[in-house]
Amino acid sequence: MDLENKCVLVVGSGISGIASALELGNAGLHVYLLEKEAAVGGHAASFCCKATDVCSGCSACVVRDKIKEAVLHPQVRLLTNSTIRELDGKLGDFRVEITQQPRYIDEERCIACGLCTEVCPTEPKAIYPPAAEATPFSYILDEGLCVRFKGEKCDLCQESCPTKAIQFEVKAKEQELSVGAIIVATGFDVFDAREKGSLGYGRYPNVVTGLDLERTFSREGYLRPTVSNKESQNIAFIQCIGSRDQGHGYCSHVCCKYAMKLAGLIKYQSPDTQVTIFYIDLQTAGKGFAQFHEEYKESIRFVRGVPVEVLQDASGELEVKFEDVCQGKVCRDTFDLVVLSVGISPRKDSWDLARILGINLADDGFFDIAEPLNSDETNVDGILLAGTCQGPRDIPDSIAHGIAAASKVIHILSEFASRRTGS
Amino acid sequence: MNGRIIAFCCEHSAYPAADLAGKLGLHYPETLRIIRVPCAGRVDVIHMLRALEKGASAVLVLGCEDGACHHITGNIRARERVKHCDMLLREIGIDGRPVVMFNLSPNAPHKFVKAANEITKIIKESREAR
Amino acid sequence: MEAKIGVFLCNCGGGMKNIDFDAAGAKVAKIRGVACVDLISDLCLEEGREKMAAGIRAENLDRVVVAACSPEFKEHVLGQVLENAGLDGHLLCMANIREQCSWAHEGDVTEKAVELMNMAVNKARLLQPVEKQDIAVDREVLVVGGGFSAVASALQFSRVGLRSTLLEKEVVLGTATRELEGLHGFDICSMIDAVEGDTNIEILTSGRMTTAKGTIGDFTVTITKEGEEISRKYGAIVLATGYRTELALGSGLELRADEEAISRAKIVSQEQLFGMLNDPFIDTKPKTIGFVFGFSDENSRFPTLATLNNALAAKKEWDSEIYVFCKDVEVDSEGVEKLYREARECGVVFLKCEVLPRIAVDNGRIAIEAEDVFLGEDTIVACDLLVAEELLFPTEGTAALSSLLNILLDSRGFYQDENVHLYPVASEKKGVFLVGGCRGDLDTGRVLTDISSAVMSIDKLLLSGTITVEIERVKADPQKCVACLTCIRVCPHGAIQLGRVDGGKEIAVIVDLACDACGICAAVCPAKAIDFQGYRDDQLLAQIEAIEES
Repeated sequence: MDLENKCVLVVGSGISGIASALELGNAGLHVYLLEKEAAVGGHAASFCCKATDVCSGCSACVVRDKIKEAVLHPQVRLLTNSTIRELDGKLGDFRVEITQQPRYIDEERCIACGLCTEVCPTEPKAIYPPAAEATPFSYILDEGLCVRFKGEKCDLCQESCPTKAIQFEVKAKEQELSVGAIIVATGFDVFDAREKGSLGYGRYPNVVTGLDLERTFSREGYLRPTVSNKESQNIAFIQCIGSRDQGHGYCSHVCCKYAMKLAGLIKYQSPDTQVTIFYIDLQTAGKGFAQFHEEYKESIRFVRGVPVEVLQDASGELEVKFEDVCQGKVCRDTFDLVVLSVGISPRKDSWDLARILGINLADDGFFDIAEPLNSDETNVDGILLAGTCQGPRDIPDSIAHGIAAASKVIHILSEFASRRTGS
Repeated sequence: MNGRIIAFCCEHSAYPAADLAGKLGLHYPETLRIIRVPCAGRVDVIHMLRALEKGASAVLVLGCEDGACHHITGNIRARERVKHCDMLLREIGIDGRPVVMFNLSPNAPHKFVKAANEITKIIKESREAR
Repeated sequence: MEAKIGVFLCNCGGGMKNIDFDAAGAKVAKIRGVACVDLISDLCLEEGREKMAAGIRAENLDRVVVAACSPEFKEHVLGQVLENAGLDGHLLCMANIREQCSWAHEGDVTEKAVELMNMAVNKARLLQPVEKQDIAVDREVLVVGGGFSAVASALQFSRVGLRSTLLEKEVVLGTATRELEGLHGFDICSMIDAVEGDTNIEILTSGRMTTAKGTIGDFTVTITKEGEEISRKYGAIVLATGYRTELALGSGLELRADEEAISRAKIVSQEQLFGMLNDPFIDTKPKTIGFVFGFSDENSRFPTLATLNNALAAKKEWDSEIYVFCKDVEVDSEGVEKLYREARECGVVFLKCEVLPRIAVDNGRIAIEAEDVFLGEDTIVACDLLVAEELLFPTEGTAALSSLLNILLDSRGFYQDENVHLYPVASEKKGVFLVGGCRGDLDTGRVLTDISSAVMSIDKLLLSGTITVEIERVKADPQKCVACLTCIRVCPHGAIQLGRVDGGKEIAVIVDLACDACGICAAVCPAKAIDFQGYRDDQLLAQIEAIEES
């Protein structure tokens, strides 16, 4: 079965898409790795290392390793700032219309020299470097800040660029890809904690989400005390925000572990910090976690029962109202920082993609699978699913799922080729 | 090479962490000279001692976090060798030329900077003590 | 003959303003062996790389130093430039004067940049080429085990065109798994039928692996079957030996049950209850059933799922009253939260307790006593049937097999070290994979992805019959090696063997295909006999000495 010249489209360059792309590339196929954003890696690329004096198994570093491998892989072609407009054809012969949004800065030519930022006249700068972990590490032009998009004439950055990477006359580019199969690996949306208004996210600066915390650690390396004159901080994690509730009849898989690992990291950096985790059922299964759970039980206060209200008092401290089941009454505890462990939600733009590709969405909003035990096949032959776009998963499971999807694609394309040649 | 700190950086952890530190604009002492190695376990006592022999103020060995070594045992071996080197130096009466091991992940630029700053502080303190 | 080293400086389009490139270039030109110094401002781009290739050819260089941004993303593509210009890609050494110099410090860093370049030149002088070669590999796979994971793996291998041997220690395949069929939702019997009819799959029952030698692509295994010794060669080995459960009735737990109660089938396992539910001839249907899980073992994905499925079935078939005692319901698998809701809606009562309930036999019934967190009260449930906690253990023979293959176990005695870089299915030894319940993580959905991962990894390695390797990148010098066995014992990847080179003395031979280029062997060798190209002792020391010279 010669798959050498077969092409596959992987939609989404999060950890699952990357895992699929790497497997397909290693098997000799050509892979188009399509990414909507400017940088690859999805949500997990911005996660922080949660090691204390030992590795906590969060796998954030594995994501970094895989991103590097994918970007350097000779068989993988990256198409960033791109989305699918239309699909035609079937298994073995899909024709996909791609639209690439103008970026103004050609990431193949940007060498991140920084000369453009120096000359940009606006404050804050309209042209700036991406997040440190961004791959490709290519500068960003912010249309909202740039004076050109307000009608003024300015080409200072363009003139300063030594590689002529900045082009303003760029329009959206259309392209057609011919591929044998498609893997949808579009990932998830983080649950918008604003939907739970009584918890104060978006109103109180010291109510943050787990993802905000990951990014804070990635950028700063440690947590700045929120209430400055206090000796030690008091932090609360509230689990199941956007999971196991009315609108989301599932567990998001990742929140209990990420909360405990983040709590562990906080305690390691500032042992005097008090951490409380409010939960429904603590999810502690999985390889490699049991050894940490004993430690967490010692250093973290676990309270069964998820609070419904967070109020900020005059001093900026947060009062959390919850039911203490052991005492059987309603209590109020004060915290300096409240972290909402937000869950994995299906992407809202899944509707559009589902319509374009002709695949179904399940009741919970994730992409649907055709049969119960085949978690990567859709109702359309040749279109498969990988990762959290099919349902919540943690990083190792997303990688495994991406590999499984790639494995399935190779099998399907081989069978298709055999049927065609009659061999 | 007075004042230089030799930092053996594992290519899976410390080397990319140092790169990230640069991208984030985090600064650390200019005295650091990074030597890239495939694993902290590649670094032998002779490498650490040669650096000191040639005048380095300190030697850093940086590898993956405990339990996350790409080569399973490399970081543990490195730690043992660093301890051994430290013991050898004390035995021959050499004080104030620290050889220290740090563990970090490739996405932990702040830990890299912390290691560089800490070793600089240790050098300064042991100089002041003498 | 002294190497001719070319130094290519990239100033990142003029962005690295705290390095005086002219001054740096002038200093570097004076270093011994440097034949030319070229400043290119756009080495990142095709144009810049072409200038570099032209420079290499024009000056007839035999070693190249590039002082620019980090080698992380550039080494690969610049190595290609050398290849295109007729030089081995290993003859390149990069000096990171951007991320680790210009961007890392305030003020002028020209002096540091020059030192970094001197270090690179000193190393480059000593670099040697490394050749590549295609090595033939054995295309057969050994799958150890006879349950769901093993059988499913063998079937998938067959589908992709790889032949495999299923090695099962019992007399027939699927001994342990047959009872679990419905509970896990798969049809082991038809899978075994498929395997028996598949010409790509050899079945060896009543057999155990007794010796294992070799490395990926070339394992030699001795199988002892009914007293007979069979020697086989395989390209890869998959361990899919499953898991073992025991009812948590031992001392030390608060379960005071007597053997009578168990023998009268009042205390059962999940599988046994499943069997009862599917037994049309069952005489008495239990009116009240108690489930206990998740206290002694927090890895309770399967117990949660089994409890929910069994509880719902018992409600439907027998209309029993059902009480579930647990600490946390483990819902982080697909569909489990839905089942949990359904179960509660059907009237299954869940009691959440912080400590293991006390269990006693009382008047012919099983009494479960515990304090429910929400009620805040001690609750006693008298039931006709107790589905007890089950503890998960590695199968018998796990420790022996791990020792035989020299692979690590995790902290609970299951296969696979808890190192994130190995997940999902790799061991630290190339070519040896761990699949399914034997890794300690049990859940049908995850087992299926495990199998696909292993098949994919092995397919990639073995299917074409050859793998391209770098030859002798790491090599023990036959003159210096005294076969002390230190490196063989220390190699974390099991890549070193004792061998004879040219019929001479026994020395350590590093198997190129299995080597992962960490250099631990080179560091640990007491005779300093191991040369690791690119990270040789002299190459590392040359970098240190370059700093001193500066």
